[in-house]
Amino acid sequence: MAELDFEMKLDRMFNEPPAFADAEPFATLVEMRLNRGWNLRQMGIGAAGLVAGLVGVSQLLNSQLLLDVSQVTERQALAFSGGVTGLAKMSANLSALPFGGEAVWLAMALGVMALAFAVTRAVEGFQ
Amino acid sequence: MAGTRAPASLHDVELAALAAAGDRPAFGELVRRHGSAVRGLLRRMGAEPALADDLAQDAFLAAFERIAEFRGDGTFSAWVRKIAARLYIRRWRREARFDPEAEVIDEGHGGEVSVAARIDLDEALKMLSPVERMCVSLCYGAGVSHAEAAEALNTPLGTVKSHVKRGLDKLRLRLAPPEGAAREPAGSEGHG
Repeated sequence: MAELDFEMKLDRMFNEPPAFADAEPFATLVEMRLNRGWNLRQMGIGAAGLVAGLVGVSQLLNSQLLLDVSQVTERQALAFSGGVTGLAKMSANLSALPFGGEAVWLAMALGVMALAFAVTRAVEGFQ
Repeated sequence: MAGTRAPASLHDVELAALAAAGDRPAFGELVRRHGSAVRGLLRRMGAEPALADDLAQDAFLAAFERIAEFRGDGTFSAWVRKIAARLYIRRWRREARFDPEAEVIDEGHGGEVSVAARIDLDEALKMLSPVERMCVSLCYGAGVSHAEAAEALNTPLGTVKSHVKRGLDKLRLRLAPPEGAAREPAGSEGHG
């Protein structure tokens, strides 16, 4: 029992930290080292990102990617102009209807408004 | 919630959680609270004051790196003290100062012991051999079990137990009440 008491006493004594007059400067020093390490790490990450970005851009410029993109864009522009032409033809056909093209456009606008209203209600209900 | 309160008013576990999210001032508060305990332990283990302070700083920086591993199962102080103790052991072994089988110099049984030494753990620890001091401080100051100490020191478990027992016997003679000092010391298995 005395053995256990002594060990408990020893535990308590070890758990009582000695008082240091320079406790605050010590903590400040640790914080400074922490901040310095953190800043260095951030600079390292930033530098690595910059290098990676430069390498990526140079690879991009050296590849045929931009040429391919321009060709694809040309094809897309042609397709788009074809679509616009078709839409204009359809609009001309609408004027041949008995109730006029304005009525169709108005109906479409109302439909879009109704859809927006429904989406808004659905979002409110979800929240 | 914890982010709106001053660090000084937060519990260690809350501060550790903030530190894990990169909040360095929160970790600074932990250093303020437990810096002395870590520095004290390293000195009690036998480190020179300057080395103890350097290692304590390293221990806190290592703790910040591994703060996500702290789950709050034990106290933050005990967790950092273990890290610090391991750093010191690594240093000790690297400098080849640790010989677990070294002959223990029994310098504790002779001479006059001052009243202050009887109540001062730090003074009492100085009467132990370096190996005994290391083992006792590890087991009682860093909360390490005998088995963990044996693993950390790369020493047989029985050797560590012997060092702890001899160290405890010497400490008891100085720290226990006079009637305790007169008794025959028993074996120690408490921290195994």
